[in-house]
Amino acid sequence: MSAWLAGALALCAGLAPCAAVALRAQDVMERVVALEMASVLVTLALVMLAEAMQRTLFLDLALTQALLSFGGGLVFARFLERWV
Amino acid sequence: MHAAVATLGALAAFFALAGALGVWLMRDVYQKLHYLTLPCSISVWFLCAAMFVGEKQKQAGVKVVLISLVLFFMNAVVTQATARAAWVRKDGRWPPQKAPPPAPPEAAE
Repeated sequence: MSAWLAGALALCAGLAPCAAVALRAQDVMERVVALEMASVLVTLALVMLAEAMQRTLFLDLALTQALLSFGGGLVFARFLERWV
Repeated sequence: MHAAVATLGALAAFFALAGALGVWLMRDVYQKLHYLTLPCSISVWFLCAAMFVGEKQKQAGVKVVLISLVLFFMNAVVTQATARAAWVRKDGRWPPQKAPPPAPPEAAE
């Protein structure tokens, strides 16, 4: 197992606390924070997986994930601020 | 070379995991928001360093720098938007209003 793959697995393990918060938190804003943390972890894990598999094309997936999570986080924040 | 890449990658994973644990363990949304900074401001640069040390292709390094910049600047904007949303949901108005000054004590008769 390469160091990159071990790092990607460690980052995937970090998704468990985020899932616990997203499933069990009382405040909906805490769930949004957990979702934002999970999206950052997935982005970093995709970078490590791309390097572990020696496929630099997969880095485009990580870049797309980062950009979409940025827009998603803003939409969630504004939507929860105004209407929910 | 390989040990340096492994060390930098391990540091990136460590700070990201510490952030995830912080989101899990902290009490309210404002405390949890602080821990988004760890992966977005520290882990990404360790990851960049590991890529530049271990990767021969310049294109991959440029893409990782781009991802790191997106995460770095995205974190500030999303954190501010989330904190503002949490405040507005609790208090109902933005910007936060100053609390009125306490009333002066009654003059002693």
